[in-house]
Amino acid sequence: MPTLERGELLAQLGGYVERARTGSGTFVFLDGEAGAGKTTVARALIAETPKSALLLSGQCDPLSTPRPLGPLLDIAADPESGLADIVEIEDRYEIFAQVLDRLQHSIRPVLMVLEDIHWADAATLDMLTYLGRRIGDTKALVLTTYRGDEIGPDHQLRPVLGDLLTKPDVYRHTVEMLSTDAVRILAGERPVDAEKIHRITGGNAFYVTELLATDGSVPATVQDAVLARVGKLDADARKAVEAVSIAPRSMEPAHITALVGTPSEAAERALHAGVLVGDRSGYRFRHELARIAVDAAIPSPRRIEYHRKMLEILDESDDTARLAHHAIETSDRDLILKHGPAAALDAVRRQSHHEAVRFFAAAYPHLIALPSKDRFRSLERYQESLSSADDQAATERIAAEMLDIARELDDPLLLGRAYRAHSRAIWLIGRTEASNIAARKSLQILEPLGDSEELVLSLRLCAHNEMLDRHYEAGMDYCRRAVDVAKRIGFAVEHAWAILTMGTLEMIKNNVDEGIRLIEESIELGKKAGAPRLESVAYGMLGSGGGEVKIYDRALQWLDRDIELGSAQDEDYGVAYSKAWKARIKCEQGHWDEAVALAEEVATYDPSVARVSPVTALGALGRVRARRGDPGAEKALRESIEMGASGALQHIWAPLCALAEMYWLQNEPDKAIDVLEAPLQRVLTTDTVWGRGELAYWMWRVGGLGEVPDRLATPFEMMIAGDWEGAAAEWNRIGCPYEEAMALSEGDTAAKFQALEIFDSLGARPAGQWLRSTLRAEGIESIPRGPRQATRENPEGLTSRQAEVYELITKGLSNGEIAERLFISQKTVEHHVSAVFAKLGVTSRGEAIARALEPQ
Amino acid sequence: MPRYLVERSFPDGLEIPQNDAGASMIAGVISNNSNEQVTWVRSFVTGDKTKTFCIYDGPTPESIRRAATSNGLPVDSISEVTVLDPYFYAGAGDL
Repeated sequence: MPTLERGELLAQLGGYVERARTGSGTFVFLDGEAGAGKTTVARALIAETPKSALLLSGQCDPLSTPRPLGPLLDIAADPESGLADIVEIEDRYEIFAQVLDRLQHSIRPVLMVLEDIHWADAATLDMLTYLGRRIGDTKALVLTTYRGDEIGPDHQLRPVLGDLLTKPDVYRHTVEMLSTDAVRILAGERPVDAEKIHRITGGNAFYVTELLATDGSVPATVQDAVLARVGKLDADARKAVEAVSIAPRSMEPAHITALVGTPSEAAERALHAGVLVGDRSGYRFRHELARIAVDAAIPSPRRIEYHRKMLEILDESDDTARLAHHAIETSDRDLILKHGPAAALDAVRRQSHHEAVRFFAAAYPHLIALPSKDRFRSLERYQESLSSADDQAATERIAAEMLDIARELDDPLLLGRAYRAHSRAIWLIGRTEASNIAARKSLQILEPLGDSEELVLSLRLCAHNEMLDRHYEAGMDYCRRAVDVAKRIGFAVEHAWAILTMGTLEMIKNNVDEGIRLIEESIELGKKAGAPRLESVAYGMLGSGGGEVKIYDRALQWLDRDIELGSAQDEDYGVAYSKAWKARIKCEQGHWDEAVALAEEVATYDPSVARVSPVTALGALGRVRARRGDPGAEKALRESIEMGASGALQHIWAPLCALAEMYWLQNEPDKAIDVLEAPLQRVLTTDTVWGRGELAYWMWRVGGLGEVPDRLATPFEMMIAGDWEGAAAEWNRIGCPYEEAMALSEGDTAAKFQALEIFDSLGARPAGQWLRSTLRAEGIESIPRGPRQATRENPEGLTSRQAEVYELITKGLSNGEIAERLFISQKTVEHHVSAVFAKLGVTSRGEAIARALEPQ
Repeated sequence: MPRYLVERSFPDGLEIPQNDAGASMIAGVISNNSNEQVTWVRSFVTGDKTKTFCIYDGPTPESIRRAATSNGLPVDSISEVTVLDPYFYAGAGDL
């Protein structure tokens, strides 16, 4: 297949291979519709690349349920790759790290080609994300091809593209359609109507060659063209072609013979006719479009027979995904049940959850035929694979079925497991109340049965729920019980998790030192027991817990540590939540630009991963907007509150208070009271002094607080009691300038002026305006005018504008240049310059510059 | 994309010279804006040049602020606005 009109593209790709030689890696997405010629380009690049480079190539197959890491396993099978060992490794990220290592430390530059990644399984996509983020320091060109026109908005590949295309050293190139001229050239001597062919085919390279291969008149569709070609073959060759068409990519000669009984020469004849091509695994079609054309033309009963027979032929194979693919095509219940779950478990082991889900979903309608206990186990695994990203209706349906089976079998252990599985599943989609009920139900059933692992798991789940709801006593109680049972039965992993929950509870109760001690203990226990995720979760707890009790410096350090740990594993869930918490802390510290930047980063993460992250990030963004007086505040805050409404209160009390604050500053206290009413009642049933404090304070501020509740965080308590000075000092110590200013604005005139300065320096317009009108109403005069005019005195007694002019003078700028730089007129500059000279006591520029160079 | 009205204050009076230097200054502003996907539509300036009211298109108020910072321009306030023209109602009574 000639490479017409691909010269520039090939040159660019060749350039990347050159760069790889010098240790500067590139990742390329090559986009093109089916038949555009992506494979041709890849082959041409491979042909051009000097033999000195290491070539690793793999393809993704159009299996209804692809084999996890399939293309990588193909690559590893090639002895040149040096990756043979990876088949033994269980942990996905260890596999990725080894591949990366190969790409980094290969002596020769590496050209890694992965075709058709729109069919890639989830684990392969994760690998691509991992490599793409780190490609710069490698000696590789990773070239992937995909069909951009075939991937819908929900396709798995989309977030990968979205993520990687923003990274350095990652590019997308497109294989364009052929022009009419190219068609003419391909036709050569033949008297064809190049324009007509171009019109029918759209310039699609595959279609063009197919049409050109038929003699006589040009067929109307490509399928007709393909079938016409096949039709020219003898009967045996035709049968061989049909056989090859049912394999997802290629078929071994021995299998062809076993399937349709044709001698091996039959496939060879098809090869010579150009209908099939050969590759290292056997025979296949030149293009998947051709395969589909032939496959679609096989009458259904014969197709099913072929797939059934393939299963018999492949019986000894350990490629569970391939077996499941054929099984599904037979629509035969027994076959699906035989092969589906095995493939699913394989996928689970490789942490390819999307694949596992698809296998289970295919098997699901047939599970009814299994004995109850096996059905229960399959459903349980199915549900474990479903994440919040998947079908919510399926989650609940499966849980209901599990409960039915458990009741039918009258097995309390299974019932306990069923309730717990249900509880976990619906928590992810935000149904917290129902989730708690299910968790407690699980416990109720398991307790009378005595010690068991199930009991520990359910105890810890209940403890976790109480922690999320900020119920200290109840939570600690469950934790202690979980620890007791876990110790008795030697369940080390759960012991560690229970200690982590205890530590989190202590943090939230403001027993910070005890909390840290316990959480650090849990990290140690977790490492010993082999619970790898625990460390990252622990830092997340330290970070968010620390943020909640406002020990900002340490909290930020912990959050950064969690982000660091999580990013090494592409653990998007934890990283997103920690970033969202950083945004919230930065907002509270008055670092509003930073808060906004972090919140915007979180918005780029997949929202289906977990709600708590966008809820927290939007809350911070909304609060910054409200405090600045920028548009979009109410919208962001309401969105945050609504998204988090069915979840734990701790995620939304900040945006709730921010909304109340906004209404109060707009002089609509009744609206504020409406917002705070129910949440305040709710928070008073919990043990978080900071949540109680902030909600009670704002209710007091807007005039809706009756009796003052107990156990409020200190600065809030002081404010309500009228101790504005104490409160301001506390806020200053903690590091919340806005709250400090709010406290000062309750004080004497000097304090109010101080508050005004803080509001102005933060850019808090609504609060500044409110305070100014308060001062005016009190008859205070000489109110400082506002941030623009604020005269921050510097050592020489220059105003800020004069100081700017002075600095530019010392840089040697002329008056004209200074005028341009500051968007003011030259006359004004001259005015400032004389003022500066006068204040410095100098009479020339030279003296002014000399003065600047003097040591202070 | 939302439209915003941005108020700015220039205590010394805003002065953009009508020459190459002024033109390149404006070009720089437009270029920095585009990094944030912000478009400067039009500005209205008071007689004494101490205040401007600028119409901008941008994805968020934060993008407006970042663009302003990179251009060294002050921001007093940002409001989201839509256009209301007397012409929208022209002829309505005739229908």
